[in-house]
Amino acid sequence: MDTCIIFASIQPKGNGEKLKPIIQIENISKEFKVLNRREGLKGTICDLFSKDYRVLRAVNNITMDIQPGEIVGYLGPNGAGKSTTIKMMTGVLEPTSGKILVNGRIPYKNRTKNAENIGVVFGQRTQLWWALPAIESFRILKDIYCIDDITYKNNLEYFDALVGSSELSHKTVRQMSLGQRTLCDILAAFLHNPSVVFLDEPTIGLDVSMKGKIRELIKTLNKEKNTTVILTTHDMGDVDALCKRIVIIDKGNMIYDNTIENLRTYFGAYRTIKLMFSKEANGYSKDGLDQIATDLKDVLRTNFIKAVSLTVTVEDEWIVLLINEDEVSMMQVINCVQEYKKIIDMKLEEISTESVIKKIYEGEIG
Amino acid sequence: MSKIKFSSKRYWALTRGGIMEGLSFRTSYFITIIGNFLYLIVIYFLWKAIYASSPSKTVGGMTFYDTLIYLVLAAALFNLMNSFLIFEMGRDIQSGKIILNLLKPMDFQVYMFFQKSGGFVISFLMTFLPTFLLVYFFTKGSIDLGVNLLYFIISIFIAMVINYCIDLFVGTIALYTHSIWGINIMKEVVVLLLSGATVPLAFFPETLRTVVNYLPFQAIYNTPLHILTDSTLVTKNYFWLLGLQLMWAIIMIAFSRCFWKFSQKVITVNGG
Repeated sequence: MDTCIIFASIQPKGNGEKLKPIIQIENISKEFKVLNRREGLKGTICDLFSKDYRVLRAVNNITMDIQPGEIVGYLGPNGAGKSTTIKMMTGVLEPTSGKILVNGRIPYKNRTKNAENIGVVFGQRTQLWWALPAIESFRILKDIYCIDDITYKNNLEYFDALVGSSELSHKTVRQMSLGQRTLCDILAAFLHNPSVVFLDEPTIGLDVSMKGKIRELIKTLNKEKNTTVILTTHDMGDVDALCKRIVIIDKGNMIYDNTIENLRTYFGAYRTIKLMFSKEANGYSKDGLDQIATDLKDVLRTNFIKAVSLTVTVEDEWIVLLINEDEVSMMQVINCVQEYKKIIDMKLEEISTESVIKKIYEGEIG
Repeated sequence: MSKIKFSSKRYWALTRGGIMEGLSFRTSYFITIIGNFLYLIVIYFLWKAIYASSPSKTVGGMTFYDTLIYLVLAAALFNLMNSFLIFEMGRDIQSGKIILNLLKPMDFQVYMFFQKSGGFVISFLMTFLPTFLLVYFFTKGSIDLGVNLLYFIISIFIAMVINYCIDLFVGTIALYTHSIWGINIMKEVVVLLLSGATVPLAFFPETLRTVVNYLPFQAIYNTPLHILTDSTLVTKNYFWLLGLQLMWAIIMIAFSRCFWKFSQKVITVNGG
C-alpha cells in the first residue's frame, strides 16, 4: 500500500532556541515472536509441540522527539502498535532495535528509576487499592514515591479545587463509578509531579460530562505543572480538546507527525455536505436512507469519474457527502444531487478531525 | 522532582494498606476459623482411628495429641501463608494489569511482598492466633508455652519468606504459559506433601524423609511446627534449625530473583 507520509520538521515556534526534548525516540522497532496457530482441536493440540514461529513487527522504525510540556495525541487504529510504543517508553518492553531516552535515561535499563518521574493511567485498569477509599491509595503513593508533606498537601488541595476530589476520595474505590475511578487514577498519576504522564485511553467508556471534566483536568494539569502528556485515544473529542500535535501510526509505521491544524489544511479541500430529502421526522426509515445513499453514490460516481475520494454516509436523518474540491467542485455535486432528488435542507461543514483521521486510517490519503 | 531516598516508610505504607484492606473482609476470617475447627474435628477422628489400630501409644515418635496439634497448626499456617500471589500474578499477567505494578518506583518483588505483608499480619491475628488457642484448649494444654514461642515466631517469618519466593517463582512461570491454574494446583500438592503439612514428616519412610530434608519445602511447615511442638529441643537445636531455614530462605530469594530477572526479558504484557 502506498501511503503518503506527511512529515514536517517540528520546531517549537517563537523561541529561537530549541528545547531539549524530554523524550527522544530514534528508529525504534519492536518485534514479537508469535506462534503460528492452527485451527480446530487437532491443530490446537499440534500447537503444543509446534516451533513454527513467525516474527511480528509491531513497531517499525519510529523516530520522534517530544518537548517538555507538550500534549501529544498518539493515534492509530486498533493494533497499530500504540500500546507497544508506550510500553517501550515506560521501560516495560525493550525495543528490538533503536534508542529511547526519557528524561535522559534509557527506560528499560532503569525501569524503577524511570518510574519515579513518570505517571501512567491505563483506561479501565486501576492502580488504586480496590477495597480502600482512594485517599488511602494516595497516602500509600505518597510514601512509595517519597512525596514530601508540603507537595502532597498542596497537590491534594489543588486537585480538590479543580475537581472537588476531597469528597470523592473518601469513597471506597470498589463503590466508585468508572468515571470517578478514572478521575482518581489520573489524580494518582499526577500526585508525585511526574515530568511525563502516559494516558492510555483515559476516556474509554465514560459519559459525555465526565469526558469533559477529565479533558479539562488533563489540560489544566498540563498547563499548570508543565507536565508532558502522551495521550492515546480513539475519541477525536479528546484530540480536539487537548492536542496540538498528533502522531499517527498504522501497522507499526509512523504515517503522520505534525500539528492538528496542518492535518486540517492538508484536508482543507475537503467539504462535508449534509443533505435532507424529507422534512417529516420519519420520512424515511434507516433502510430507506441507506438505499438513497447507495443510489446517490452510484449517480455521483458515474457523473464525476475523477471524484475518487467521494464518500456518502448516513448520519441520523442526514445524508452526508464528503467531497474533495480539488477533484470536483461543490456546486457541481449539489447540482447533480438536485437533479436526482429534491433537497429540502442542506448544511455545509468543514471536515471534522474524526473524518480526517478516519481517512488516514483507511489509507485514503494521497 | 522528588528524589527518592531509601525509606522504611514506604514498606510500612504498603503493610498498613494491606492490613486495612484485610480488615474490610472480616467475614472471610471467621469462616476460615470455622473451617479450621471443622478440619480439627475431621483429623481428630481420622487419627484417633489410626492410633487405635496401633499397638503402641506413639506412631513415628509422636503421640496422638502431637499429631493433632501438628496437623491443625499446619492447616492454620497454610491459611496464614497462602497469599494468592500466584493466582493474582497469573491474572495480572493475563489482563496486562501487571504493568501498573511494574511501573512502581520499587523493585517488583519487594513491592509485591510488602503489598501482601499486611494480609499476613491480619491473618496471623485473625485466623492463626484463634486457631492456636483453640488447639491449645482442645488438647488441654499439650503445647509447651515458653521460649519456643519466640523461636516459633521467627521461624514463621522465615517460612513466609521461603513460601513467598516459591510462589513468586511459580507465578513467574505465568509469563511463559499465560495460564497458571494447573501449575498452581500442582505446586500446592507438591508443597503440602513435601513440607509435611498433610502428613507429618515423622511418618515418612526413611529414604523419602532423607530426600525431603534436602529440599526447601520442609522449612516452610515442618521447621516451625517442630520448633513449637518438640519440647526436647535446647537453644543449640533452635539455632541450628533456624540457621538451616535461613539458608533456604537466602537460596530461594536468590533463585526466584534470578528467574524473575531472566524472565523479564520475555515480558510481552498483554492487552493492546
